[in-house]
Amino acid sequence: MSPPDLGFFIICALAIIGLAYEAFTQPTAFVQVSIFGLADGAMYALVALGYTMVYGIIELINFAHGDVFTMGAYIGTAILGFFSFNENSFTAINLVALLVVFPVVMLVMGAINIGIERIAYRPLRNAPRLAPLITAIGMSFVLEGVMFLWHGPATVHVPDLLPHGPGFQTTIGGVFIGFKDVFVVVTAAILVTLLAIFINRTRLGKAMRATAQDRDAAQLMGIDINRTIAATFFIGALLAGAGGMIWGLYYNNIFYNLGFRTGLVAFTAAVFGGIGNIPGAAIGGVLIGLIAAYSDSYIGSKWTEVVIFGILIGVLVFRPTGLLGMRVPEK
Amino acid sequence: MVRGRGLVILTLAALFAFACGGTSGGTTAKGTIKIGSDFPVCTTGGQATQNGVKFAVDTKNAAGGVNGFTIAFTGFDDCRQGAYSADAGVENVQTMLGDPKFLGMIGPYNSAVAKAEIPIAAPQHFTMISPANTNPCLTKDIAGCAYHPQDLRKGNANNYFRVVTTDDFQGPAMADFMYKTLNVHSIGILDDSTVYGVGIAGAFETEFKKLGGTTTHSEYQKATTSDWKSILLKFKNAGATGVYAGGTDDQNVCIPAKQMKDIGWSVPFAGGDGIETTNCIDEAGANDLVMSSTSAGADATQIPGAQATIAAFRAAFTGANDFGGYTMQAYDAANALMAAIGRAVTDANGSTPTREQVRAEMAKTTGFVGVIGTYDFDANGDTSLKIVSIYTVQTVTDPTKSTGVCGKLHPNDCYVWKAQVNYATGG
Repeated sequence: MSPPDLGFFIICALAIIGLAYEAFTQPTAFVQVSIFGLADGAMYALVALGYTMVYGIIELINFAHGDVFTMGAYIGTAILGFFSFNENSFTAINLVALLVVFPVVMLVMGAINIGIERIAYRPLRNAPRLAPLITAIGMSFVLEGVMFLWHGPATVHVPDLLPHGPGFQTTIGGVFIGFKDVFVVVTAAILVTLLAIFINRTRLGKAMRATAQDRDAAQLMGIDINRTIAATFFIGALLAGAGGMIWGLYYNNIFYNLGFRTGLVAFTAAVFGGIGNIPGAAIGGVLIGLIAAYSDSYIGSKWTEVVIFGILIGVLVFRPTGLLGMRVPEK
Repeated sequence: MVRGRGLVILTLAALFAFACGGTSGGTTAKGTIKIGSDFPVCTTGGQATQNGVKFAVDTKNAAGGVNGFTIAFTGFDDCRQGAYSADAGVENVQTMLGDPKFLGMIGPYNSAVAKAEIPIAAPQHFTMISPANTNPCLTKDIAGCAYHPQDLRKGNANNYFRVVTTDDFQGPAMADFMYKTLNVHSIGILDDSTVYGVGIAGAFETEFKKLGGTTTHSEYQKATTSDWKSILLKFKNAGATGVYAGGTDDQNVCIPAKQMKDIGWSVPFAGGDGIETTNCIDEAGANDLVMSSTSAGADATQIPGAQATIAAFRAAFTGANDFGGYTMQAYDAANALMAAIGRAVTDANGSTPTREQVRAEMAKTTGFVGVIGTYDFDANGDTSLKIVSIYTVQTVTDPTKSTGVCGKLHPNDCYVWKAQVNYATGG
């Protein structure tokens, strides 16, 4: 073990010992913080999947992805405007609104992301790799600008549709759990499971894996590369759109540049799990959510960003393949 | 060729429009004097404050202007990406300094912006009157300040005045209110890491401890925090029965008020004038009724003499959120500046005065009769009024008659005036 590796190992070990101490001395608070972290992490995971899938297939860090996530929440809020529901009690109309808004937002964001790929990335597919990276940042600014023009800079309220209040929360051994926390984690888990089934069991999923492995060989085998890449962007945006909607319903406050930070954190999660690795992104997202919550509670929220991006640098320097290893062929 | 002709027509149309724009105004014999304002117009608070200046200028011009001059008003916006920006404020001040017709400005709104603008404006003797800055370090050299007023002014005579009092009164006023009236004896203090937020949270904490209360302090930064639940849980576990938020709504300081309820913890949530806004009520969502705030001045709606002015304002600005906590302060500040300009015109024998003449006359202001009271400015530029008003959010039946601002999403939930503390009389 080289000295830098050893240093990294010692820092990780100290962090785990510190957490174990907190868990032992104040178990209730520890479990409560873990629940907050898990809910945040589930949302980061949904965004991280989009980063990792796109990187896996065309080795592009799609910096616009965080804004696709935010736009999902904005469009979802606009759709919810058509329903007349009651924010204070959960009724049938709330359920209908939820059942309508999720598929619509996901499909709309999927279509928008295909458009982004067609306009900003496909023409540059054979250009130097820096070129699409720059158009990705440009796309990010465009999406933020659109949301800024749409609703202005102030926070936008997302209706509090999910069941909440006294009937939908419980305290188990001093730990507060709301329906919303459960909803976020369960929905994210369902979406990730569906994605895994899709990637591993369907023809298109197989085509995506083949394209990620070797684009030229895949093309020779008769796979339509453009269609496969577009499908990757589509699926990534389905998850980001759903993630944005979940975020909006969970926090009820969104703003136009929310995706900037969320995107960077999710990107860190993707790198942490091993960029290009789909299970890695999901696990990385949850871990980053937990680490952020522990840092907020036990170190201080002003250090959270230092901790998260310290992890990003640490992983890139000491273990570039991430926790589960990159699934990107060496070229 | 068709395209070329289109371009010519467009250009001519543009020139015509500009020419028309340029000739309006300036009907009085002596010409125009410009004054500007610098507020974060992207926020409801900034917009409502700018309205106060505009109303004062319009009223003055309708009554014949200032000593023969028409006042031309330009409202500058110091927002960048949805929040106030000191850099944008400095650019606005430089724009005003670059035009010799600008003789003074109303603003800024945020203390951090003032801290950046005063060093630019002071060497040019450019009068600034803020209707909303509350950080004490801008005018007073007191313990705990990270910067000093004499450094900001770079050795020049004082050019900065304000019609509101300071956070070293605002923080303690809320500490007294929470400790004595709301019976909160243990509190979590949150600050947004800005000049204003750190200052007011510190003043609150000092007073709250002096009263015998216990505190837990945590800070955050807008750029890096979207989830306050872990911080709130820390407060809750430390035994806090209330939260004090030092910060402004554009730094998202009101979102924790909503998240408190998400963790099943609904306790009083108080802050300074930075949370007395429409956005803040909306961001707190269904938990807005736990909020209280202070405002660094008398509430104009509680002053009998101000009612006619407020009624005239409401007739001119009819939007629900056009009137804010600092609208009348801005109205007063604009009138104080225009009065000083009028006296400076006399000093200049009826011609356009210099910026130094305006600044000197402003400094000499005594017994200024404004709608929020009759007051002087001391050598530091501070008002002799040391009044802090306290508001709580309540559901009202008629929002148009509310004393404070109301929400947009919850239009009947408004800040309602509760009490005022006058530190000038020791009460």
